[in-house]
Order: sequence, then structure tokens, then C-alpha cells
Amino acid sequence: MRKFELNKDKKNLTPTKEQIKRQKRDFSRLHHDYEKLTKRGKKPLYRDPKLFMLLFIIGIILFLLFLEE
Amino acid sequence: MTRKKNISNLSETELIALAKKDQKYFGPLYERYFEEIFRFIFKRLGGDEEIAGDITQQTFIKAMANMGRYEDRGFKFSSWLYRIAQNEVSMYFRQLKKSYSVAVDENRIADLAQEAELEMNYMSMDQQEKLVEILNSLNESELELIELRFFQAMRFQDIANIYNITEANTKMRIYRLLDKISKLWNERK
Repeated sequence: MRKFELNKDKKNLTPTKEQIKRQKRDFSRLHHDYEKLTKRGKKPLYRDPKLFMLLFIIGIILFLLFLEE
Repeated sequence: MTRKKNISNLSETELIALAKKDQKYFGPLYERYFEEIFRFIFKRLGGDEEIAGDITQQTFIKAMANMGRYEDRGFKFSSWLYRIAQNEVSMYFRQLKKSYSVAVDENRIADLAQEAELEMNYMSMDQQEKLVEILNSLNESELELIELRFFQAMRFQDIANIYNITEANTKMRIYRLLDKISKLWNERK
């Protein structure tokens, strides 16, 4: 929640060139932060039950086909 | 080198199309709009440099993440960035447990008084305080409109683009708000 108050201290409400320069990050750093936030790490197989089951079923089918032959 | 040169020669529409495919091409858009968005957020926060810097970065990260959803509807690309910045600042205010004080210049308050036709030639400090008190009694969405029009000195069309509404609708909302402020002022006389 915010409240307005009169600028009695005569605070500068427009940023100076120095403030802008100080706060402007290099784009590669911003891109790195973006990657860190959006790209999730790969889940290990044992923590992904669906993928684990799928691979297990494929393995069973291949094994049964091998026994048939 | 050639690639770099090519990118700097691209139009904004071409840059947007490239950035939609791969976020690494968002760089020129970031360079072009950082200052404008930082100034906007800085003012909305009443001059808090560090928080303004953080929220500006957050705004651009959100913009990068949502580039795929951006549609060119004939508005300036900056309107879309302003909309994200506006939401980020509002979210920051909502998350705060304590109230956050935003400083406002006297001449902005005087402009608002004049637009709301509060009938006075000179505003004393007490009258300015009273008007600020009235502003603080408005709800968030009303305050945002007042802020954009009077404290950020934005054009009706630019405000309309941020909210994705027509210019006529924006004018109507702001004039209704000015009427409300005028009524509250007269009630507290």
C-alpha cells in the first residue's frame, strides 16, 4: 500500500544521468538473470514418474519381443 | 560484426519479430527503452533509486518472458512496456506490509487542483495537504489514473494505450475522477 505526501524535502523526482547509468545493467547480465529465472534444470529420471514408467514399459515390451524370438 | 551491424539497422518491428523468436535479440529494445521506463518507475516510487532499478530489471525480464504473447495492435511498443511496468509497481505496493510514502511535487498538486476546478488562485500548504489527503482516500485504480495523467504528465492517448481502452474512455474516467475529487473537496470545506 502506498500513500502520497507533499515533497517537502524537495527530493529530486527525476533521476539524474548518473542514477540512470548506475542502475542500467548490461544486457548480457539481464539475459543471464532471465535464463536463470525461466529455464528450469532437467529433472533426474527417478524424480519424473511419467517418464520413468514410459521407459520401463518400452523396456518390458522390448524384453518380451526378445523372448518371443 | 556484420550481424551486429545488421541488427542495429533493423526497424523496431523487425527487432520485435526477431526478439519473439530468440530473447537474445531483445538487447536493442532494452537499450532503447531502459531510460524511459526507469524514469517512469522512479517517479512512481517518488524517487527511490534502488527499488526503481530493481523493478525496471524485473519489468524487462517479464517483457522478455512474454515476448511471444506480444501483439502489434497499432500501439507503440513502449505502451506495452509501460503496462508491464505499471503492473510491477502496483504489485510491489500491494506486497508491502507497511504503507509506502510517495513524494509529490507542489506544482503537480496545483495542476491537479486547477483541473479539478477547486476555485482558488493560490494554494496554501494546508490546502495542499488536504488535497493529498483526498487523493489518499481514493482506491488504487483511481490513484493510478491520477498519477499517470498529473504526476507523470502523460497524454490521454498514451494512458489509453497502457490500459488498452479508447482515448474517449480514458478522458471520461479522468474527468469523472476530477468531479469526485471536487465533490470530496467541497464536502470537507
